[in-house]
Amino acid sequence: MSAGVAVSADLGKGRSQFELECRDLGYAYVNSKMVFQHVNLKTYENEFVAIVGPTGCGKSTLIRNLGFLTPPTKGQVFLDGNEVRKPSSKISLIHQSIATFPWMTALENVKLSLISKRLGKDEADRIARDVLRLVGLNGFEDYYPKEMSGGMRQKIAIARALAASPEILLMDEPFVHLDELTATGMRKEIYDLVFNPETSLKSAILVSHNLHEVVELADRVYVMNGNPATLVDEVKIKIPRPRSHRDPIFLNCVDRLYDELSENPNPTR
Amino acid sequence: MDVLTIGLATFATIGRILALIALSVLSGWGLAYLAVKSRRFENAYVPFVNVLESIPVIAFLPIVLLVFIQGLGGFWGVEVAADFLVFDAVSWNVWIGAYQAFKTVPEHLLEVSRNYGFGVGRTMWKLYIPHSIPRVTSNLFSSFADAFFYITVSEVFTVGVRTYQTFGIGTLIANFVQQSNFIGVYYSLLFIAIGVIIVTALLNILSRRGVAKYGVDTSYEIKRHSPWLGRRFRGLDVFRNRAQYISRYAGRFTHLRHRRGLGENGGTPIRHLIRVAVKSLIFCMGIAVVVYLVYSSLAIAFAVPREQWRSFLASTPYLLYSMGADYVRVIVVTLASLGLAMSLGYLLATHHRASLTLAPIVQAISAFPAPAYFPLIFIATFPIFSSRLPAAYSTEIYVFTLGFLSCFYYVFFDFWIGVQAIPSQFWEVMRNHELSFLTRMRRIILPGTFPYLITGISSTINSAWAGIEIGEYWPNIDGSHSLEVRDGMMKYIGLNMSNGQVGNAAWVSLLFAVVVAIYGIVFTRNLMDLARRKYVVEEGVYAA
Repeated sequence: MSAGVAVSADLGKGRSQFELECRDLGYAYVNSKMVFQHVNLKTYENEFVAIVGPTGCGKSTLIRNLGFLTPPTKGQVFLDGNEVRKPSSKISLIHQSIATFPWMTALENVKLSLISKRLGKDEADRIARDVLRLVGLNGFEDYYPKEMSGGMRQKIAIARALAASPEILLMDEPFVHLDELTATGMRKEIYDLVFNPETSLKSAILVSHNLHEVVELADRVYVMNGNPATLVDEVKIKIPRPRSHRDPIFLNCVDRLYDELSENPNPTR
Repeated sequence: MDVLTIGLATFATIGRILALIALSVLSGWGLAYLAVKSRRFENAYVPFVNVLESIPVIAFLPIVLLVFIQGLGGFWGVEVAADFLVFDAVSWNVWIGAYQAFKTVPEHLLEVSRNYGFGVGRTMWKLYIPHSIPRVTSNLFSSFADAFFYITVSEVFTVGVRTYQTFGIGTLIANFVQQSNFIGVYYSLLFIAIGVIIVTALLNILSRRGVAKYGVDTSYEIKRHSPWLGRRFRGLDVFRNRAQYISRYAGRFTHLRHRRGLGENGGTPIRHLIRVAVKSLIFCMGIAVVVYLVYSSLAIAFAVPREQWRSFLASTPYLLYSMGADYVRVIVVTLASLGLAMSLGYLLATHHRASLTLAPIVQAISAFPAPAYFPLIFIATFPIFSSRLPAAYSTEIYVFTLGFLSCFYYVFFDFWIGVQAIPSQFWEVMRNHELSFLTRMRRIILPGTFPYLITGISSTINSAWAGIEIGEYWPNIDGSHSLEVRDGMMKYIGLNMSNGQVGNAAWVSLLFAVVVAIYGIVFTRNLMDLARRKYVVEEGVYAA
């Protein structure tokens, strides 16, 4: 066992309440074989969970199953013990492809997630401005996405997700379209942002290919592999924050995850 | 009655329509490219298409007579004349759809093509044409429907005392109606129904594949060809995902440029010269057309006696009032069409199973030639309406019905394809934030389909005139009654044409053309510019 790394046997000890749980989850496209199956995972309060796996193993589909944006073929999802049967703003998704509406300003994009809450215009405006400030976009409320950089657009998408007061934040490779400098900056901000006392978030799930990113952010990592894929391991990252990429323990964790993935290479779909 | 003949005639008509649709797609791509590259051409092209789209097929009969019947003569003269009339029915909305698609190509994709120095051909083949596939395929439904709507006046037409006809189901129906052979009409409609269902099913496959493959991150899965279909649809394989194409080609082209020692922004002097020569040639041709049109117009104007001009001017206020009355009818028809599109069209676009059953029904209704079956509706409903409503109201209902049947499918199919082309990420955001139907419609669906709606509404407005023209003045519709509104520009044109007062009809047509041209610039072009600036849904996902 490497320093800074613990396996699944240690997980959950000392924790009383899990937030999101899925049981025996599986997914198959129509008239096709299972992409993944027998997936069981849990997230706990104030925990940042990551899912890693080779390309095509179904990570993005799994994260959509968790939010019920794509209903699973098999299995169940629970939030606070209640079964999830339809998409809800309590579980918010941030896309890999940055999805902002080009005909709406930054403020209008964020206010979109508040419509279903039926707040007054001033209240919605205040919340949207607060969240934009939180992600560092104060002063850009009236800008259209077209007039902003990729990083700023992704911040709009994050602000929109946070404005809905979600309990769980799902992130599908949210930094993959950003340049390295912007991505590094946002990675530094995202953890504090996610667990900022001003937000309603209890836990976050990140899907990523980038093992350095995963080790930098996650408290716990699920490794997905096989064909059909399933969760083959759980790795707990016990490195104190802030984490340095040059730290030998950090590099050790990255190596461990790399070994996990390369042990059972999964043919891509 | 020979069932085999009806079958062959249906086959001939469908073949004719599909061939002319293919021609309109090819010509539409070329003209749309010129329109997006030259503001001057665009300023002339958009009103031109709007005017031509607004003019009903039968208004082209004098041109048909002069150019094809007298010029070519014989079998080919009649065949080409009929083809021209069918082309008139199918082409305009395909042209405007291609223009709208070319106008809204995402800026970053254009930059990629510019960056790697793509020429006209490569930019068309790798970018503009693939990008236009979803919108062009959506317009094929309307074109196919429109061709059938007018088939009884396209394949058989009367100019003066002579009737010309070419082999096809439109001609057979017209002959059966003349002979009061209603069994023949029913069999013909049955064969049309079979043909329409088969063709629209194929168009459905084509449009879904088009949206899945060429739309940006839509929720439709790209279907792989089964071995059986694969052989038949291999032609489609020349297309690939445009992003893959551009990146792959860009790599190859950059490599070639480096090998040839060309700069990144360079181009050979010969290519530059060719480009300048082509531009100059197009400019000269444009000037020649304008000079010819101005000369012809002045010649006609000076040939008209002064008293006639006074009469024209004196009648103008009434004509403008009649035009206003017709515009009210067109607006009502357009709003009804939009309402159907936003309800049923949305349902079909978002529920695959519903679309499998309801879409062919809508397509079949739109493709059935209303002038062929409308007298049957009239005979069935006239006793009910005439006993309960004042005559003017029942007439307006019939005019509305004909207008609606002649054009509702434009905005319906455009909106339908537009909804399907909305990126899957946007749907996920809508579901994730539990947006209601009305909020989705107002905030995302309508803005996201804005370019499609402009095309659909534009074509709906332009095409409503044809149905209204038939409904406003239809003498002896069932042998004993006539449909006739009190005031209407189309009735005025129809009455004057049948009385031989061609000058009066020409004067109101000129006034109408001016209004339509202004509408083309104010509505279609300006709203399309707005769509280009703000409502390119693809830019909401790609831009990173």
